Amino acid sequence: MAHYLHWILFLPLFAAAFSALFLRRQGAIAAWFSTATAFTIAGLALKVLLIGGDVTWHIELAKFGDISLGFGYLLDANARLMLFVVSFVAAWIHLFSVGYMQEDEARGRFFAGLSIFMFSILGIVVADNLLMTFIFWELVGFSSYMLIAHYFDKDYAAAASRKAFITNRVGDLGFILGIAMCLSLYGTLNFSELAQLKPVGGFPVILGALLMCGFLGKSAQFPLHVWLTDAMAGPTPVSALIHAATMVAAGVYFMARVHFMLATDVLNLMAISGAGMAALAGLCALAQTDIKKSLAYSTLAHLGIMGCALGLGRPDLAVLHMAMHAFFKATLFLGAGSVIHGCHHEQDMLKMGGLLKKMPLTAATFIAATLSNCAVPFFAGWYSKDAIIEAAHEHNFAIFAFLSIAALATCLYSGRMIRLVFLGEANSEAAEHAHESPWTMTLPIVVLGLVYSIAGGFLAHSLIPASALGVVAKPLEEMAFHLTAPATIVGLLALLLGFGGALKFYGITRGKDALQLVSPRTYHLLEHRWMDGLYRWYIDSIQRRVAEFIAFLDLLLINGVAVRWIAGGVPAVLGYFTGRSFHRGQTRGYALWIVLGTLFLAWFLIAR
Amino acid sequence: MENTSLAHHLILAGLLFVLGLTGVLVRRNLLVVYMCLELMLAAATLALVAFSRFNRTMDGAVLVFFVITVAAAEVAVGLALIVALFRRRGTVQSDALNTLRD
Repeated sequence: MAHYLHWILFLPLFAAAFSALFLRRQGAIAAWFSTATAFTIAGLALKVLLIGGDVTWHIELAKFGDISLGFGYLLDANARLMLFVVSFVAAWIHLFSVGYMQEDEARGRFFAGLSIFMFSILGIVVADNLLMTFIFWELVGFSSYMLIAHYFDKDYAAAASRKAFITNRVGDLGFILGIAMCLSLYGTLNFSELAQLKPVGGFPVILGALLMCGFLGKSAQFPLHVWLTDAMAGPTPVSALIHAATMVAAGVYFMARVHFMLATDVLNLMAISGAGMAALAGLCALAQTDIKKSLAYSTLAHLGIMGCALGLGRPDLAVLHMAMHAFFKATLFLGAGSVIHGCHHEQDMLKMGGLLKKMPLTAATFIAATLSNCAVPFFAGWYSKDAIIEAAHEHNFAIFAFLSIAALATCLYSGRMIRLVFLGEANSEAAEHAHESPWTMTLPIVVLGLVYSIAGGFLAHSLIPASALGVVAKPLEEMAFHLTAPATIVGLLALLLGFGGALKFYGITRGKDALQLVSPRTYHLLEHRWMDGLYRWYIDSIQRRVAEFIAFLDLLLINGVAVRWIAGGVPAVLGYFTGRSFHRGQTRGYALWIVLGTLFLAWFLIAR
Repeated sequence: MENTSLAHHLILAGLLFVLGLTGVLVRRNLLVVYMCLELMLAAATLALVAFSRFNRTMDGAVLVFFVITVAAAEVAVGLALIVALFRRRGTVQSDALNTLRD
């Protein structure tokens, strides 16, 4: 089994290296090469999923005393599911990109970037220790940076990529401190060894909190969520692959993997902040006119729900929701990409409209994925989201309330999106002349959308084979379709009120946002980026001052006293006694002083 | 070889080193200075080989191979610098190259 994992992991690395070295100028070849690799990986991942069985494989790379650092695989049910979801979604997104990036000059770089991203994310999935996870974690950060900055000559894309990178580093600082703490406390970083430890009194709260920092950054959890909406500056397939389906989910996956190390306090914090963010982000999505930004807020909301599930002590549900979300959100983003492509790179939803007739395939899949997003019964999202709301209900009323708001908000913004983009009349020249996208773009959305978004959970028993059922089956059986459960009632109410309401509400105006007309203040409240303002204030008023103070100390003590004073003072004193300047520009003179200095140092060290 | 001891080798290496050092300090032609520098390096490697032999391990000898390889590369760079210097300034006498003073 391990050899399958070697192939899965290193094939994309090879593809990336090959494209980067030889195919920079042959964009078309690079595109198909990278896509073929992605499909091969997806096939292998499916095979691994079908065979089933856990894999542990490890080689030691370095040993320092008792501490062993190595490279290895730990494949359990979660990992198999994640492996399949990532590679399957990624393969179709590769195919989509072939069409979407058709006219891009830098296709070679783009596809090399996708491949290196595949390598990084698959590394996180199979990693068997914290250090390896961290290394691939950083590689994911790098590839995300590279792909967001694909249009690097545009200022906003360059700024967005920096923002994503730096925000992630903030979280990763905590992560690496957590790794160091784990190493110093337990002397091992291996997941299976850590799982066997049963420290008295449990794992320390600080360790859990530090490890959670990495998750906060990568999965865009509050308060480090600010980068995700800006990351939409990258090409749409990148948004679909990285910032909706896989990378942001990696944080959730990682938290599920180290769930046993998280103390109760950490979990409670995660649950409440996740639920809060889910509700807030869902509402913020209402105040975005850019279709991708609106979807980004939707992703934030779902990540909040996953974080909440982790916090509720249900990593299985979090992973399940992550898998379902990956399918339907990838479909939504690819659908959005197809719409943007069809409307000649128009991203403003207010300028779209009436696309149902012009882009029927895209519209059908987009709507199907939206229904899944809204957790309409028997659609994929319903299985996981309802189960999480159910779990919240059993746990804590506040969290349940937040999640209910989130459910309502989801339906509201989904309804708005459908209403603005696909229904009504075309609101601009571009939407008037919209056309359906080529097959390389529609096929992926049809596959991802129709097969998985509609039927995902329902067909889970047949489509996701028995080996993954360790993850999937349990929540499915728990669901058992009890219609009187509070979660189901909330879900259905949210659907009726939110979806129906939004369809009606946003029909009252044309070319303008209805909420903005009715209540500009609410709209501004939701649209304004409060956290960005807070960070700006912090950096300008606090961090910069501290940095300037430290720079002053450096100038005074290191540069002034230690270097200038000694370097200037000693020759001045010696020069005073010898009556000659030392600084004569003669190489031989300097060489002599070097020799004398060395001799003095040797005497000083030996004679003492 | 039977009559030589480690001390002999080290004295030879030391002499070579001092010879090189003196050259670096007193000669003015940069090309000669550079050759003297290489002599110092050779002295150091000689000591290394001697230690290696009398300690009956190959470590030092292997290290010397790397040193020689790197030194060869470094000579190429150094000579190129001297050539470039000559082209630019018309001289490689170290006395004339004193703009660092200002």
